[in-house]
Amino acid sequence: MVHDPTVKKIVLDVLKPHQPSIPELASRLVACHGVDHVNITLAEIDQNTESIKVQVDGSDVKLDGLRKCIEELGATIHSVDEVEVVRRTTQK
Amino acid sequence: MREYFRRFRFYLRLTGVAPISRRYFVMNLFDGAMAALGVIVGAWTSGPVQPRIIIGAGLGMSLAMGISGFSGTYLVERAERLRRLREVEKSLLMGLEDSIHGKAMRMAILWAATVDALSPALAAITSISPFVLAHRGLISVDQAATFSILIILTILFSLGVFTGRVSREKVILSGVRMLIVGVITAILLFLVGRI
Repeated sequence: MVHDPTVKKIVLDVLKPHQPSIPELASRLVACHGVDHVNITLAEIDQNTESIKVQVDGSDVKLDGLRKCIEELGATIHSVDEVEVVRRTTQK
Repeated sequence: MREYFRRFRFYLRLTGVAPISRRYFVMNLFDGAMAALGVIVGAWTSGPVQPRIIIGAGLGMSLAMGISGFSGTYLVERAERLRRLREVEKSLLMGLEDSIHGKAMRMAILWAATVDALSPALAAITSISPFVLAHRGLISVDQAATFSILIILTILFSLGVFTGRVSREKVILSGVRMLIVGVITAILLFLVGRI
């Protein structure tokens, strides 16, 4: 029996250009591996960029995969503000 | 194929190139139609003309306008979009060349340049098409010139209707306005050809 820590929820502070729009970005992020639910809140808006809070919930969220998805969309992670991890027991 | 079109439409939305290419399309279709009108009415009123000459001149003009449209738009769009990308990169403190922004930018430049290249050629080739029938001996040169002028005026009217729909004005009025420009040009060309 092995107890693997599994990330269930991450809240990120993300800086993005105005395009893609927030609904478009959310639709794209929810298609990333291990992501079941995405919630985005606009925090600040600038001439070229938008600061957003991205809450990602899933069965097994991988931060590296999520970072890749976000960077492919032309956005960048400023900070990881919140993480929720659960212990998942697997048979070995 | 479906995925390709989905991505293509996403890139169009992302770069906002759709309204720009619509503007290029109308402007250059108008240019192509007016240039064809110049060639056809100018040659027709100057004296006896062979259809082959009109076809050659029309195709040459289409090719030149196509190359000019593609290269001019490619260079201008590239400069503008690259500058905008660099500004956003500076704000984000990261490179965007490999992100969807870089890919969408490259697609948008090619799309705008292609629309700019094909639209005048489309108008010019359609306009001179009756002269192909005249070349084959199916209709006379006078008939070909009349059909060509009618095609050009129809293109101009359709463009007016299209721009009227875009601006949500009275479409018929917008079409007639464009038609008047064509008729005035044709009259002027006719008078110049008679000198």
